[in-house]
Amino acid sequence: MTNARGKKKKGHLTESKLGYVMILPNYIIYTVFTLIPIICTIVLSFTNYDLKSASFVGVQNYIDIFKDEIFLKSIWNTIYFCLLTILPTMVLALLLAIMLNRKIAGRGFFRTLFYLPNILSMVAVSMAWSYLYNSQAGILNKMLNAIGLPSVGWVTDTKWAMISVAIMSIWSSLGYNAVLYLSGLQGIPDYLYEAATIDGANAVQQFFNITIPSLKPTTFFIFVMSCIHSFEVFGQVYILTQGGPLNSTTTIAHQVYRNGFEYYKMGYASAEAVVLLVLILIMTMINMKGGNTDVD
Amino acid sequence: MSTKKNSMGMKAKKTLNNLLTYLILILLAIVILVPIFFVIVTSFKTDAEISFQNFQWMPHSLNLDAFKNAWDMVNWPRAFANSLLITVIVVAGSLFFNSLAGYAFARLEFKGKEVLFIILLMGMMVPAQSIIIPQFIIMRSVPLAGGNNIFGAGGTGLLDSYASLILPFLSGPMGIFLCRQFYSTFPKSLDEAAKIDGCGSFKIYYSIYIPMSTTILATLTILKTVATWNDFFYPLIMTTSEAMKTVQLGLQTFKGSTTTHYNWLMAATLFTSLPIVVVYLCAQKYFVAGIATSGMKN
Repeated sequence: MTNARGKKKKGHLTESKLGYVMILPNYIIYTVFTLIPIICTIVLSFTNYDLKSASFVGVQNYIDIFKDEIFLKSIWNTIYFCLLTILPTMVLALLLAIMLNRKIAGRGFFRTLFYLPNILSMVAVSMAWSYLYNSQAGILNKMLNAIGLPSVGWVTDTKWAMISVAIMSIWSSLGYNAVLYLSGLQGIPDYLYEAATIDGANAVQQFFNITIPSLKPTTFFIFVMSCIHSFEVFGQVYILTQGGPLNSTTTIAHQVYRNGFEYYKMGYASAEAVVLLVLILIMTMINMKGGNTDVD
Repeated sequence: MSTKKNSMGMKAKKTLNNLLTYLILILLAIVILVPIFFVIVTSFKTDAEISFQNFQWMPHSLNLDAFKNAWDMVNWPRAFANSLLITVIVVAGSLFFNSLAGYAFARLEFKGKEVLFIILLMGMMVPAQSIIIPQFIIMRSVPLAGGNNIFGAGGTGLLDSYASLILPFLSGPMGIFLCRQFYSTFPKSLDEAAKIDGCGSFKIYYSIYIPMSTTILATLTILKTVATWNDFFYPLIMTTSEAMKTVQLGLQTFKGSTTTHYNWLMAATLFTSLPIVVVYLCAQKYFVAGIATSGMKN
């Protein structure tokens, strides 16, 4: 620590030194547990580390992972999950926010209710849905059967499994995004709508010409954060489907976990982790670029 | 159109709009409630009532067997104590460190401030899984801990200890970001007046900024409490022993093992979620405030 040596009398630090001292505890932890691990992941990805020994293997891991059908599948699954969740969640959240923004009785109750799934842990949510989704004893199939429809293999059919994971994820994050949109809506000044009404604009025109443009920053924020969160999807998959059936729900993050901590192929898993990191970086950079030109 | 007719039309339209609003809200509310409803009713069912042949939609009585059985499967008192301890320390520690750094970034001038802040913010997009392997190795290699020698080899280091579940979370880009945003809204004249009175920057922080930080600290407390209590990925990687199990890990052990006992599983889901639901219902306004602030741009 470089403080305390300030040449001022009485041990008072200069403002700039104090600044460094105040951010120091954070920066130590951030450096040890985030910055150094990023570098280490990259270094490890060029080795065959397996918790016991490590030797340098060059880019072999990268060659291998891009020949690994399960890993390639996990990349597609991750993108598929993003496609299934991000836009539907945003559209539903906006709809919900518009409803909650109307001055109606009971909206506090509805807001409380819709946000509730978001505070439940992904373990609890996945456990609850594992019962809904179970193909024989599950509630959803019991409901379908009760109205004369055939059962669906929610988490046992390769066509349905990722859709089921996505539905559960939308259920869990809808309220959070709706509250974000709600705070965006509340920031739009009323006079914009009043002026538009005087000019004869109808509700649909007002929605597309006032509401949507005014919500651009909120939409941008939600989109960027949703992309990041969806790309690192792990908990749902780990608990609900364990990546199955036939790897139809395994994701990049799930492969990193499986290879790293089930098979102890840590060098290999590190290469996959680097791919995950790079994909998120590229995606966020594209988003930022798109967002900036839009806002300007 | 005459004005009278117009206003009547408007009124009818408004009623119709309200009806439509309620219809959509209630429909979505049902979708949200169905899973929660079945968690609750199933946990009161007997084994027979959830069986394939004798399935009952509703339990006949408030049978507590599922709770008893689920409670016996894991050392829950220990798991709750672990989770509580970790949550309290992480929340207290990160609040202090985050507000400290947030104040420095908002109010103090030092070289490289902007760059240092941006480097911190970038941490928000680093997925936990992409750095978990080195974090695991770092924890395992802490010198002189868990049977390690001075070079950090030979033992298990800080793995399977409270420290491994606490240390990484004492920092947090989100918390620093929120504190900085919050402190940036304070008038600068506040600092200047205090400086004239002879206060140093640190004194300004703890005697002026901290007492005025109730909103942001409460918000952060809530966000961090939920995140820490609900985290299962870290405990999954960092701990191995029964004694170090957190609540989420305890619940996670039900995965796959008791597929026929969904009533036990739902009971465990219910009682592990209850504390966080109570916190949520008591401190709702801070949840909303937290989202509103974190959702703000700039």
